[in-house]
Amino acid sequence: MSVFVHARPDCIVSKVYITGLGLITSIGNDLASVIRSLRELRHGFEVHPLFDRSGILIHVVGTIKEFQVDSTDPEDWIFPKQYSIKREVLRGLGPNALFAYCAMLQAIEDARLTTADISNPQTGLYAASGGSPFLTHHLHERMLKVGVTRCSPLGIVASIAGTLNFNLVAHFKIYGASCGFSSACASSLHGLGFAYEEIRTGRQQRMFVVGAEDCNTDSILPFAGMRALSLQSDPNLASRPFDVARDGFVGTGGGAVVVLESEEEVARRGVKPYAEVAGWGQASDGYNVAISHPDGVGLHLAMKLALKNSGCTAEEIDYVNAHATSTPIGDSSEAKALKAVFTNPATRPAISSTKALTGHGLSLAGAMETAFCALALRDGFMPGSAHISKLDPGCDGLNIIRATLPAQPHVVLNNSSGFGGANVCAVLKRIN
Amino acid sequence: MADVAHHGPGINGSKQPFSAPGKSFTPEDEAALTEALKRCSPATIEAAVKFRKTGDPAYVPAVVIGIIERFAEPDQRAKLREADDDVRIIDDLGIDSLTMMEIVMLVEDTLQMSINNDELRHLRTLGDIKVFIDCKIRGLPLPKPSRFLPIEHIGMVMPIQPPFLFLNEATVGSNGASAKYKITGEEFFLKGHFKDNPVMPASIMLEALGQLAVLFLLEGGHGEEGKQADPQTIYFTSCEGVRAHRVCKPGDLLSLSIKPKRMKMPLATFEGQIRVGQEKAAFAEEITLTFGLRDIAVAPAPAPQAAPAASAPAAAQPPAAAARTVVSAPAA
Repeated sequence: MSVFVHARPDCIVSKVYITGLGLITSIGNDLASVIRSLRELRHGFEVHPLFDRSGILIHVVGTIKEFQVDSTDPEDWIFPKQYSIKREVLRGLGPNALFAYCAMLQAIEDARLTTADISNPQTGLYAASGGSPFLTHHLHERMLKVGVTRCSPLGIVASIAGTLNFNLVAHFKIYGASCGFSSACASSLHGLGFAYEEIRTGRQQRMFVVGAEDCNTDSILPFAGMRALSLQSDPNLASRPFDVARDGFVGTGGGAVVVLESEEEVARRGVKPYAEVAGWGQASDGYNVAISHPDGVGLHLAMKLALKNSGCTAEEIDYVNAHATSTPIGDSSEAKALKAVFTNPATRPAISSTKALTGHGLSLAGAMETAFCALALRDGFMPGSAHISKLDPGCDGLNIIRATLPAQPHVVLNNSSGFGGANVCAVLKRIN
Repeated sequence: MADVAHHGPGINGSKQPFSAPGKSFTPEDEAALTEALKRCSPATIEAAVKFRKTGDPAYVPAVVIGIIERFAEPDQRAKLREADDDVRIIDDLGIDSLTMMEIVMLVEDTLQMSINNDELRHLRTLGDIKVFIDCKIRGLPLPKPSRFLPIEHIGMVMPIQPPFLFLNEATVGSNGASAKYKITGEEFFLKGHFKDNPVMPASIMLEALGQLAVLFLLEGGHGEEGKQADPQTIYFTSCEGVRAHRVCKPGDLLSLSIKPKRMKMPLATFEGQIRVGQEKAAFAEEITLTFGLRDIAVAPAPAPQAAPAASAPAAAQPPAAAARTVVSAPAA
């Protein structure tokens, strides 16, 4: 294991690599399915019965298939048989933690990690979730009705925002760094950035980065209160980032796990990484609790800082996985930020938002979309930005690709922005 | 019943501790009960329904075991079905304190009783739980909790000492005791028994059970008011129905347990058994000890009267000579 060298800013002790992925998403519950969905621009939306009731107004959701998690009793849940989960683990999980747990098992297998690799003081876990409002609601109701001693002893553990780290650190016996991130839709990209730091500085050799959200009315519907959700009832139209007629995002949930490792561990284990995490940047809008700065100043700066941190220039970027959620304001802000960064038309990158296929995963988005970028870098393609009939004129000058490009990207940016104007940008590089 | 104010309606909306037979147990209540117990075995549900209809405590053990089984990991359930009262909930069944809370909640709902945290603390074995619930149901005072005694404590109180002490640790409760002893291979008698083939003598296994019975007499809090068993007076008198089932060798961990069968001064008769893992190693239908009493060796109450209490005639005498019943070993 590396010795921790005295920390001067930006002193690099180790490069950082992505060595494993696990995904439970609306576009697939395994890597092969997800790759197919990304390449072929297959979305994961359905008109969902729970949502599609008069008075609710919201019809379309990015559903998680093969998981039946509507009950407040985890012992009722149905999930794919390959995941064997003890009752004692299940009882402390909300739907989001269940998705994360399954994604964790996938990622561990994908990275070919042994128990010793996972469970040691040099391996940590950073997680991001908004918690489970569904379970919180149920528990509070039950507490008022029958008294708190009649509530599940693990109610709090299963429902508050830290639920992913509580559960995963305990059940996977993580002895290294652990923490939860709470910056709304930027959360899991913050997790990625800080996990990168742990390895870069030699403080950890391996980090799991986890993002997960429930996928139900409690986690998604409240956004209709701020008129942020699309009112479309056609699953093929509803999520259309950068389209001129976009009217709000489509919610989704699921779980994503990205495994980061140091150079030393990659060499020791003899594994071939998906990609290198070359650097990251973050900056805030300081503008409004929920609305992004109209000129995207925070995102602009975050991208600039990410480029500087990774030693890359804007000209080197081949592809940007935009945050763009399909909201009128948010997509505009990002378009402006992108234009401010990529000023040279000759070298402008391909840009797309995969939220057109998955929907907006909230805390899950950063980790999930990092995984998509890793797959794109390894397999040599750039997913298109789906469902655009007429591009918003505000995007003129940006190369927003409508179809998947079967070309190999070398350097990729991944953006995430959250409430309060948090903006994070990560730079990923292809491995030769 | 504690904390009624904090508990909303139980399963059937009634807060009557033990429904009079047939009274407030409606078909809706039965449906709700069956739903709450839906992951228990059909036999458990049946016993629960019968209990709620009749209030007969005889159904309770089946309900309690069925509920514990429902929460135990599948591979642990076999242990429960063997229904040995000495099975330890946490150590043997892998049930942690959070699962205990879940078990308690379902037991409370099913049997319509309430249990508070303090009462739970002392429930270590299946037997403890059954006795506890039984006492609650019948409105009896709770038994004293079983206590875990490490080797240091055992060494302090027992008249038997190494190299002839065959208890490493013990748990003593009001209805029996259990202990563990690991055959180290260094025991002095193993050199000769047998030559080149160390085997724990059956007589020593019987002795170990007898020693556990001695510990039970000393630590089990028996005897009349103000008196306890006198360690200097405990002797083996007889045994019956002793069988050895398994050759035990160095490395084997013996699990001993004894249960009192009859206690009438000066004799105490016990049943005992030894297991190694799940296997029966030895069984004794009866081991009888004789014992005498002495006053409890505690500081006297602050009452200034010189005359001791009438029921402790020898209180003024030094403990060694105190109230010792004279016993002659039966001729046998």
